Amino acid sequence: MTATPILRLRGIDKSFGPVQVLHDVSFDVHPGEVTALVGDNGAGKSTLVKCIGGIHPIDGGEYWFEDEEVQVHSPRDAAALGVEIVYQDLALCDNLDIVQNMFLGREKRRGLVLDDATMEEMAAKTLEGLSVRTVKSIRQQVSSLSGGQRQTVAIAKAVLWNSKVVILDEPTAALGVAQTAQVLELVRRLADNGLAVVLISHNMNDVFAVSDRIAALYLGRMAAQIRTSDVTHAQVVELITSGRSGDLGLATTNGATA
Amino acid sequence: MKAGPSQEEIRRHNLGTLLRHVHIGGSMSRAVLADRMGLNRSTILGLVSELTSAGLVREELPRDTGRAGRPSLVVRPESDQAYVLAFDVGVDRLTAARIGLGGVFLDRREARMRPDHREAGQVTEVLADFAHQMMDTTRQGTVCVGVAAAVRGMVRRPDGLVRAAPYIDWKDEEFGESLTRRLDLGLPVSVGNEASLGALAEHLRGAGTGCQDLVYLHGDIGIGGGVIAGGQLLGGDCGYGGEIGHMVVNPRAGRPCGCGGRGCLEAEAGERALLEAAQRDPSATGREAVRAVVEAADRGDISARAALHDVGDWLGIGVANLVNILNPRTVVFGGTLREVFLGSAAQIRSRVNSHALAASRENLRLRVGALGDNAVLIGAAELAFSTILAGPLEALARTST
Repeated sequence: MTATPILRLRGIDKSFGPVQVLHDVSFDVHPGEVTALVGDNGAGKSTLVKCIGGIHPIDGGEYWFEDEEVQVHSPRDAAALGVEIVYQDLALCDNLDIVQNMFLGREKRRGLVLDDATMEEMAAKTLEGLSVRTVKSIRQQVSSLSGGQRQTVAIAKAVLWNSKVVILDEPTAALGVAQTAQVLELVRRLADNGLAVVLISHNMNDVFAVSDRIAALYLGRMAAQIRTSDVTHAQVVELITSGRSGDLGLATTNGATA
Repeated sequence: MKAGPSQEEIRRHNLGTLLRHVHIGGSMSRAVLADRMGLNRSTILGLVSELTSAGLVREELPRDTGRAGRPSLVVRPESDQAYVLAFDVGVDRLTAARIGLGGVFLDRREARMRPDHREAGQVTEVLADFAHQMMDTTRQGTVCVGVAAAVRGMVRRPDGLVRAAPYIDWKDEEFGESLTRRLDLGLPVSVGNEASLGALAEHLRGAGTGCQDLVYLHGDIGIGGGVIAGGQLLGGDCGYGGEIGHMVVNPRAGRPCGCGGRGCLEAEAGERALLEAAQRDPSATGREAVRAVVEAADRGDISARAALHDVGDWLGIGVANLVNILNPRTVVFGGTLREVFLGSAAQIRSRVNSHALAASRENLRLRVGALGDNAVLIGAAELAFSTILAGPLEALARTST
């Protein structure tokens, strides 16, 4: 629980032309824990995640992974470290089945042909390891799956590659209650299995139900990173909306009058 | 004064322990068993062969090895051979299951219970019918090794007298004894409190696996509780312990409770409180009604959200008290509280973080039950299995006579 962070960002700056989106952001992600990343629309959550995933190069700051400073210039670099991101749109192909989706672009080959047996076995093992019992067959087309099941497949796809950090962008946003419960349980299980999980969410109940730490972004700055057992709902909402709450948060809030 | 345990007692203990390992942990090799039990391999071999000839375990090749070399055999429980009957007497439904060694559901029956059919005699009849239906489909040579039932009420230890089950109007009911007579299987029916059994189930097979100190909260019509402390179910003097639903949280201005008191946790955060606060039709009760409120809140219904806020607040106060008194590692929300927790986790956690002592809540985990609506049945099955796990061969000898 209190192990050193697997992923450490220090002083991250990122601008798009004249627009500065991230300013001196620090961010820690711990193995075996769910870190909730919260913030208002436009606070910089998605940009931060894309910087971690190598989609946007960072302008300045340090990116530490497992106690080594690394350079991440592309999604491939991030994947090589063991960082996987599940985006909101999930990026699954409806016309392919679960196994094909999980190995899309990274198919296993045996000589010239695809090694279907191995892929099937790996997919089944991954789903079993996550105690996923809701899908009937791993050869089912993704178009036939419910929203929660799709999310599950997308998460399983991220876990398949021995990833160490899994980042989930609003995994429950479009789901009903029962499916949200399923996905949250899965998120929790990932962390309990030792992975470092980052959960981006707007839903405070989801955040408080599964997270171990909360990181609140406010106007491109990291307002606070706190343990979920040390804050109240009201404090987190304050951090999100004004960047500070009592002793927590930014010393002088950006753009505020006080 | 008695000297140390005899050879025979040690052997019985070891047989039981080995059987428990494969019953809870699933298939495992003799090497793993030797390691976990701290016994040498030849002792394990002897124990396994005794249990094999009794028809309780079987040795076979593991399904997938993924490793080179000759795979070692695994010992697996004979789920089809030895089973128990587990009953759950709910408020609006009766459930029964035939569960094999290793915790495998072999058969399951369920019936709605009409309010005018709640007398113990009538319940006994329905359950006995279920039992006979389920046993008629078993193959020759299979053996029932235990029977247990869960009730929503206070159960006296050790005789299983149901002192009070207010929601179904039972008082001092010799339920276990009459079900034993009616089933006539030569096995005594054990009776337990539903939330205590749920706690046992989540501790052994669910969200609290490997956790020695947990509190289980079971939402049904009321709120039941079960406490596992140091790996053991906390029962108190007569077995009535763990009535978390009747923890007093708001005695001065609180809502009246079914127990006659005022401001019990169950009165403030139970099903009735939630449904009333959400302004639901008073005739709609039960799981589905609670789940409908959580769904409405998720879709943005303001009265449903306010109701969940309120209930979550009270639940958080209750959990904060429990954390201060018991310092559990895990608090598990089961039954309808599973949905209620997911819909009001922010309120619950906030209260816990404000009122529970910092050191006590440091490593606290709040989790939803992993066994869903089957937790109570699974717990009842574990209670029913306890005889055979205490002395496998003796228990078998007794059932076959």
